Amino acid sequence: MRALPEWLTDDRETAALATMLAPSSSSSLETLAAESRAMTLRRFGRTMTLYAPLYLSNYCSSGCAYCGFASDRKTPRHRLEADEIRLELAAMKKLGISDILLLTGERTAAADFDYLQQCVSLAAEEMQRVSIEAFPMSVGEYRTLADCGCTGITIYQETYNRERYEALHRWGPKKDFIDRLETPARALEGGIKSVGLGVLLGLSDPVEDALSLYRHVRHLGRTYWRAGMSVSFPRMRPQTGGYEPPFPVDDRLLARLIFAFRIALPDTELVLSTRESAAYRDGMAGLGITRMSIESRTTVGGYCESENEESKEKTDKGQFEIYDDRSAKEFCAALRSQNIEPVFKNWEPVYNGPSSSIKPEVESCL
Amino acid sequence: MDSLQLGTYTFSSRLILGTGKFSNSRIMLEAVKASGAQLVTVALRRFNREQAEDDLFGPLSALEGITLMPNTSGASTATEAIRAAHIARELSGSLFIKVEIHPNPQHLMPDPIETYEASRILAKEGFLVMPYIAADPVLAKRLEEVGCTSVMPLGSAIGSGQGLATSEMLNIIIRESGIPVIVDAGLRSPSEAAHAMEMGCEAVLVNSAVAAAGNPPEMAEAFAEAVAAGRKAFRAGLMHKSGSAVATSPLTSFLGTF
Repeated sequence: MRALPEWLTDDRETAALATMLAPSSSSSLETLAAESRAMTLRRFGRTMTLYAPLYLSNYCSSGCAYCGFASDRKTPRHRLEADEIRLELAAMKKLGISDILLLTGERTAAADFDYLQQCVSLAAEEMQRVSIEAFPMSVGEYRTLADCGCTGITIYQETYNRERYEALHRWGPKKDFIDRLETPARALEGGIKSVGLGVLLGLSDPVEDALSLYRHVRHLGRTYWRAGMSVSFPRMRPQTGGYEPPFPVDDRLLARLIFAFRIALPDTELVLSTRESAAYRDGMAGLGITRMSIESRTTVGGYCESENEESKEKTDKGQFEIYDDRSAKEFCAALRSQNIEPVFKNWEPVYNGPSSSIKPEVESCL
Repeated sequence: MDSLQLGTYTFSSRLILGTGKFSNSRIMLEAVKASGAQLVTVALRRFNREQAEDDLFGPLSALEGITLMPNTSGASTATEAIRAAHIARELSGSLFIKVEIHPNPQHLMPDPIETYEASRILAKEGFLVMPYIAADPVLAKRLEEVGCTSVMPLGSAIGSGQGLATSEMLNIIIRESGIPVIVDAGLRSPSEAAHAMEMGCEAVLVNSAVAAAGNPPEMAEAFAEAVAAGRKAFRAGLMHKSGSAVATSPLTSFLGTF
């Protein structure tokens, strides 16, 4: 078994964060909120960047105890084909979406690398910014995806507690804790521009996990200095598989985590998805979160379905419940009423592709 | 008339406004109008031809008396910035390009090597190149040599509101420069803008300080007044700061004995 990397256990640089997160912390939630709000306003202004997820496939080879799409669940399996993807993309574009996150399960024969590459290429034709949340890959595979227009990956460690991790990931390629931990670094090696990290709150001690997550962000930032970085705060909700989170995180603790991360990482994008309620997301806008998902469907496809309610697969269950099911229009109106501008396009495909700098001219003279 | 000359363009206003970070385009446009700015910068990544409501370029280009200066924010290499400049010129028709290359999307510090390369090439292609740089006096001269229209050193980190933290280097850049020096980034208050102008900057660029203000149009106006006052003070000639008291018996009285 490979040993944990040193940076993961080094608690020297997490002292300040640990103080803010300690149950006995002397900083009140209100104080942290005020500081977090001021820092967010200074650095990000009064804006919120928006993206939407598209589930490509729910085939999976992993046995994550908490996931509704784990390979032993009796949920119907689908994958979107090229013509269906085109329809989904068109439906999403109609909603104004230009920043998309493509999702799959763990690598399977039904949804393998070639399939994902094809999907990224299709999405890059239509969307301004394409990211993926899929299975861990090799540096070479990431490079290929970057060349096809993929600019970001989201890969959650789920929990940084190795014992808990190995117990929860019962079988499949995801069982390898260290391989998962090294995935964001491989993506950045391969020319992916930004990585999104996070823990699935509820699986393990949330404060310990938060400190490890912070170390991971700092380690990657130091090693890959060009990397864009975001941190998400997905909180376990009742899943399709009926899993009860053993370490439930309440609203106040989640808020404390978000504020503390904003204060500890003033420049990092912080993300909150539709796993959270409309009221919670509205409350958090401007207080630290700078990126939110909209119009989420957690079933495979789902955007065309909602245009035609009578169509197939209405009985499908998504990967998790959506708590904020407002339309893009309603959601944006709520943001605007708080004086925050929803930003649909905050990228230009001209900046896609692996970072490679111009070689200084002198080199060719040598 | 004391005007700002950038390439073949003449501006009476010396305040340049950034257009990101506002709570909505209406407020942004009001701030632009209130500022009296004639040159505004807009990020290519915020051009949205498919969704008018999300687009910053359209409403800005409809404003009268405003020259647009697209910027390459988001580019991490010279190659990307050059491609972005070409697209921006195509879409906006503007010859101005604000070269912003920050490979680290967190702290947004400009890359001097990539910025130099992109500026050199774009200047040769006929763009009016306005590079955003760290307050580095040598880099500023190198950029002048390759034909940049101005240099835009940072007062402090973008969005930090730390004011003129780099003033020592800015003073050298201003003293040595043959092209306009425009302080870009880090200003929080109108008094800092006035200070930059008193130091001899030809103009200042402000964004966060206006966008994050309680009343952006009013703050824009305050910056405009401060910039004008600072410029007037610079032209009038500031009184020397005296470093030490004048000695009661003159130190050089012995010179009369020769």
